[in-house]
Amino acid sequence: MCQWCMKHGAGKKWYLNSKNYFADQIAPENEMREYLEEQWKNMENLFIRKIKGFSSVGLGYKMKMPIIGRVLRAAAEGMIHSEKQHRNPVRADGHFGQAIPLEEAKLIMSELAAEPIIENYCLCRYMQRGTKECCCINFGVLSEIIEKIPRYIPKDRVVRIDRETAMERLEEHNKKGYIASVWFQPVPYINAICSCESPECGGLRLRTSFDLNAFYKAEYIIQLDQDKCQGCKQCVSMCQFGALRYIPSQKRVIVDYDKCFGCGVCRHACNNDALKLIPREEFPGWDGTY
Amino acid sequence: MGWNILGGDMSKAKGRSKMKKTKIKIDYTKCGDKGGIDPRECTICLKVCDPCVFLMHSVIGAEEEDPNDPQVWRITAVWPSVCMRCMACVEACPEQAITVKW
Repeated sequence: MCQWCMKHGAGKKWYLNSKNYFADQIAPENEMREYLEEQWKNMENLFIRKIKGFSSVGLGYKMKMPIIGRVLRAAAEGMIHSEKQHRNPVRADGHFGQAIPLEEAKLIMSELAAEPIIENYCLCRYMQRGTKECCCINFGVLSEIIEKIPRYIPKDRVVRIDRETAMERLEEHNKKGYIASVWFQPVPYINAICSCESPECGGLRLRTSFDLNAFYKAEYIIQLDQDKCQGCKQCVSMCQFGALRYIPSQKRVIVDYDKCFGCGVCRHACNNDALKLIPREEFPGWDGTY
Repeated sequence: MGWNILGGDMSKAKGRSKMKKTKIKIDYTKCGDKGGIDPRECTICLKVCDPCVFLMHSVIGAEEEDPNDPQVWRITAVWPSVCMRCMACVEACPEQAITVKW
């Protein structure tokens, strides 16, 4: 259980608490709508915005500076995790996510997500790679807002989808190698399940390159059964984080647990059932490392 | 945060004995709002960059303008610290607008 489960989980994981899926129970609906509208209207502007007077261009170097680096890191993380009343939407205050395995993504889709459910273009991938790919699933108030902005929605297909289709899409993306992730926007309101890719994803970029907690590791971690692994190397190509590596001398795959996000995407490639996800809490040495 | 008392975080300077600062400049007279090229049509540098240094965005301050206007779009090298200096973008840019120095 991470710190957000303690705060917003009501004894469960934060994304399994059904209260977090109802906008009107968390904040006045207009306030939520205003925040999301403002944020999505200029989503392409969000990355290069200023963090407390610092432009986010070249953030990597600025963060390595003595003193200033530490101040900047604290400011950026405070912004990402902000739970204040009047958050700045264009700075993405209170917008962060966590990796989840496919099973839990499907559970959210089937039981917890609020209607209507829509599918729209991944903005991170569009801004960083220039490709439009339809792989973000949004629900609740947010989908009503995105529907009205034509450049985010695919023209040639149905935008509103039902729960079964959404689950199918998630499975499809996950097997392709994308990581299922669930997002606070703003904390503690949950309204999106994305299929992310590193390094395009904005949250993953901040986490993997700058170690800012805009994206948390999953509540699970991978466990490799060394006896079952035949060394086919299929899983290595699936890992987005470089956590799996093949070593010829042992003819098997080794795991870098520090890099493992616990998304479980590698399991789809394993033919020998050697990889399985176990709860992070039960894994000695890596419990509490989110 | 590493062991540095002053707070300089060197933990991410993996494998590089000395960290060099990479400067990536894009000439906006050749590409983007002032040049004739719409970055949203081109996107070659975005696709060619392995570590995803570039970001295609609308210009700060243009929030109130029409987001479909090509004049408000440009490409910025937002994460130069992850640049691998492979020079793929310099070679790929059809307008020779990108320069990488370190």
